[in-house]
Amino acid sequence: MEGLNSFNETKQVGLTSLGSPSDRFNVSPSSSSTSHGVKEKSPRKSLSGSESDAEKETPEKQKSKSPSKVKSSPSSQDRKRKAEVDEETRVKNEKQEEDRQKMQVLVSNFSEDQLNRYEMYRRAAFPKAAIKRLMQSITGSAVSPNVVIAMAGISKVFVGEVVEEALDVLENWGDSGPIQPKHIREAVRKLRERNTLPNMKKKKVLLS
Amino acid sequence: MAESEKDQFDDEDNEEDVQPEKKKKIFSKELRCMMYGFGDDQNPYTESVDLIEDLVIEYISEMTKKAIEVGRPGRISVEDIIFLIRKDPKKYSRVKELLTMSEELRKARKAFDEIKYATTK
Repeated sequence: MEGLNSFNETKQVGLTSLGSPSDRFNVSPSSSSTSHGVKEKSPRKSLSGSESDAEKETPEKQKSKSPSKVKSSPSSQDRKRKAEVDEETRVKNEKQEEDRQKMQVLVSNFSEDQLNRYEMYRRAAFPKAAIKRLMQSITGSAVSPNVVIAMAGISKVFVGEVVEEALDVLENWGDSGPIQPKHIREAVRKLRERNTLPNMKKKKVLLS
Repeated sequence: MAESEKDQFDDEDNEEDVQPEKKKKIFSKELRCMMYGFGDDQNPYTESVDLIEDLVIEYISEMTKKAIEVGRPGRISVEDIIFLIRKDPKKYSRVKELLTMSEELRKARKAFDEIKYATTK
């Protein structure tokens, strides 16, 4: 019984610690845009777009000749956009903080079994050397360390998807105990249907 | 004959062959811990672990092959991986998170080394 409870908890933990997928999906690009120097060019590009608008408005300025229009659209547009971006990042940071605190509260209330499982969940990882070796044997050329990091991370998510789906299958079939290969195979079949697995073995013929 | 088979098994490039008897399992220990972490029993069945290992190796191989074709053919960059993953929100956000953290760690290490250099001078 306790084992079943812990596995249910883990599934939820597994899903929440990854964040709700759509949540993270929105968070990460912008958070990466603030931390990576390269990606900061994209908001600037949109700002330079507004500057070209400003050039169109200067003849109007000259016509009206009012000094109050010095504070006109170009700089206020820039400021508005900057304020929006700042607001967004602040909201997202707050949300992340909130999520972190919730996780802390959750983990502090874990039983020993749950703590063990959570520790394994966080710590288990594929050895980078083995992945690098595997990839290099396929490509025939060197693979950069970032690629290995990315691939190791993706593979772990992949294992998580398969195992979680297999646990669902196990529950639906009314079995108990450790996962058996038949559950895994059914899980993979379901995932392939949802198109989350690369499917190179069967060639899909669309119109024939 | 048995000796040539052994030579084949010693070669690390054999991942996808279906051979009888022993096949080198490269992820067994880590995969067991991982399966337990994701909800399986504390001692998962060996056949299950083997099956998932085969699945992972196949997944990595497929992704690598696809990545080689995307972008600059013949080389794999992180952008290729991100491109292949774009439809899958879980994996996409995980990759972004990992790369961001890795970059932060690098910066922190660099800053730490610089401080060390400045103070030891």
